[in-house]
Amino acid sequence: MRTRILAFTLSIVICAAAHAELKWEQTTVELHPAATDKQAVGHFKYQNVGTKSVRFKSVHTSCGCTAAQTQKDEVPPGEKGEITATFKIGDRTGTQVKTVTVDTDDPVNATTVLTLKAVIPQELELNPTFVFWRQGDAATPKTIAIRAGKDFSVKHLKVTSSSPDFETKVEQTGNGQFKIDVQPHDTSRNMAATLTIQPEGSPKTFYALARVTNAPAIQ
Amino acid sequence: MKFSLVRQALILFALAFLPGIGQAIYFRDKVSWQSPVPASEMVTVAQARAWGGNAIWVDARPDVEFEREHVPGAVLLNEDRWNEMLPQFLTTWSPEKRVVVYCSSQSCNASREVARRLRDEAQLKNVFVLQGGWEEWLEKK
Repeated sequence: MRTRILAFTLSIVICAAAHAELKWEQTTVELHPAATDKQAVGHFKYQNVGTKSVRFKSVHTSCGCTAAQTQKDEVPPGEKGEITATFKIGDRTGTQVKTVTVDTDDPVNATTVLTLKAVIPQELELNPTFVFWRQGDAATPKTIAIRAGKDFSVKHLKVTSSSPDFETKVEQTGNGQFKIDVQPHDTSRNMAATLTIQPEGSPKTFYALARVTNAPAIQ
Repeated sequence: MKFSLVRQALILFALAFLPGIGQAIYFRDKVSWQSPVPASEMVTVAQARAWGGNAIWVDARPDVEFEREHVPGAVLLNEDRWNEMLPQFLTTWSPEKRVVVYCSSQSCNASREVARRLRDEAQLKNVFVLQGGWEEWLEKK
């Protein structure tokens, strides 16, 4: 029994002595890109604090919108490096959480999940972004409520309709709050209009859609 | 001797099991199998196929993946170009149709996000996320 305990202890000591270990400075990065930024880049720094080299086997991301890059395939003992995660913002809004899964040949910590959190500021909130009427419905106005994001000051909105079949009327309802009344001239046929909403002094454009569908009205 | 071996095995099993339980409790909000989408808003490939022409298929994957191959008749709508693509999708939409959103696989999140925005922002009803995504659709082809 004593021999078994000795063998077990020895194996633990040997394993601990010759180990490979990537120590991450942080496994979660929070980014606050500007409203006009196209991408957000997170840097995940590491150091091999072990006595053996660590080899990256694979690095994959949770979303096609995020690309991750390692600087090298193998990290010798004592060496530092970083994995860069580039998140393509596109037309995403709000808080976005994406992960990067790193697989290495480190037998102790083979897999590490890195988290990239991007808080994307929202200049305008539209509710809803789509209004519709069924064919034969009364051609009464429908309202789109608009509210400026907390870090934005919006004093004026310019709204244009891509089709003369729909009329729009903008009204300020409060500080940074507006409503757009959208009304079709008639609902006898299938038609649509894209509403372009431009806050004064902002490079960003917002869109809503109005449509008369060819689905019959509910009696 | 036999009893001692069983006891040792049980002790080892318990020792291995304890960190697992601890981790499950500590990361209970981050467990990957916990889908943020309620079961009523998910649909299987078989169910969605049974809807036939009453379903609009929405591909939430990046443009390149859509261009490579997609569900026949699917409309591309991803968050990379949401503002541009949403009007295109809404002109094909009809209130009596069900919307089935898919992305690459079970683990991708794009379909959930697109479905959430269609429900919350465009206030559409009958929006479903395809279980297993494109991979599942291909498997059941």
